[in-house]
Amino acid sequence: MDISGFGRFSDPSLLILASLAGGEKHGYAMMEDIQAMAGVHLGPGTLYGALSRLEQSGLIEALPAKERRRPYRLTAAGAASLRQYLASLENFVSLGLKRLEA
Amino acid sequence: MITNRIKPWLTRLYPRAWRARYGAEFEALLEQCLHSPLDVLDVFLGAIDAHLLLLNGDNVNWRIMNMLNKLRTTLLIVFAATIGFIVAGIGLVGLADDSPMVPLMKTNTALSAAWTTIQAGAVVALLAVVIGGLPLALTVIRRALSDGHRGLGLLLVPIFAFLAVILYVAFIFAVARQWIHIPGVFPVVPTTGAFPPGNRLLLAGLMAVFILGAIASTAAVWKVISKPDVEQETFRFLRGTATVRIYSFAFLPAVITASAMLVMLAATVAWGWMAFSALPQVLAGNYGSWGMSTRLWYFTILAVMALSTAAAFFGLARGRAARQPA
Repeated sequence: MDISGFGRFSDPSLLILASLAGGEKHGYAMMEDIQAMAGVHLGPGTLYGALSRLEQSGLIEALPAKERRRPYRLTAAGAASLRQYLASLENFVSLGLKRLEA
Repeated sequence: MITNRIKPWLTRLYPRAWRARYGAEFEALLEQCLHSPLDVLDVFLGAIDAHLLLLNGDNVNWRIMNMLNKLRTTLLIVFAATIGFIVAGIGLVGLADDSPMVPLMKTNTALSAAWTTIQAGAVVALLAVVIGGLPLALTVIRRALSDGHRGLGLLLVPIFAFLAVILYVAFIFAVARQWIHIPGVFPVVPTTGAFPPGNRLLLAGLMAVFILGAIASTAAVWKVISKPDVEQETFRFLRGTATVRIYSFAFLPAVITASAMLVMLAATVAWGWMAFSALPQVLAGNYGSWGMSTRLWYFTILAVMALSTAAAFFGLARGRAARQPA
């Protein structure tokens, strides 16, 4: 499953997957982690828009709620998708750097 | 700073199906992180996006949650209707008890058959409720234990209500045996003449305890059963495991319960018709609880039974479309 089909939720989805790669988190913990990791503030509407798409696509899964907070974790498909996306980004970054150096 | 009053209202901008799945956690998130007008705008845009997704028929998960909610409501309606029917059934037993209809039932086969049908229907209905509700109750208990025992207290409400009724019955028994003396309450009620007001009050208290207990139990079960947001649960069974779709599993027992109610209603109509045709003086008399008119008491019972049965079938019709393929 490719997150590039998520439209304006593609980038937030990538950030969420990267955040969950560090372990299961609930919504607020994800927002904090993404802020610390990438300096990006995800609004609540954007966060849940992306979360619902990721869950629907089977890239993340919800865990039983604790109090009213529900943690999410990466699925195997989500980890594979993130790996594939980051690898393509890596290729893009190295190509760009090479062109700059040329 | 966005006030806390606005936050739940913002969640309501989202479609109902979306809220059923994400509402609670989204509200919890808003309580923590909604600080600026830009965040509010973001929530507005998110709500529009959710509505558009729903219009496009996307996000099957929400739809499943919506279906689960409908199915859950169906089961709760049938459960509440069953409680209403039981209350009416107890009123019917009170009408028949110690009345001339008891000796008549021993000689009139058709009347006896109608009464047996009512009793058998009650057993079938209650068994179906127990069987259908068991996986749901086990799931609720399991979730409550893993969630800091929240909800376990609510599960104790039906037990306390039952104990309250038992205690009250024991109290009446003690009064009848003259172990306890209450001014104005007679241990033996005269069969003729006016029903003593003290005794009327004592029996009204029993009915009040029973009805309040039934309402409190239904409300507590309603609240507790609304909590599990899972479609299925795996149970260890003997040496293996069994995965049960807890709401779909309970649908067939709910159909059986509602059908048993319909049969009991028909049997109650037949029983009343036969009994009052044979003993018109009973219908004209005051054999209802607290010396109430037999006619009024019987037709009130019929009305409650009919309403409960109609509510159960309404619930089933509502939930039928929501059933998921197995």
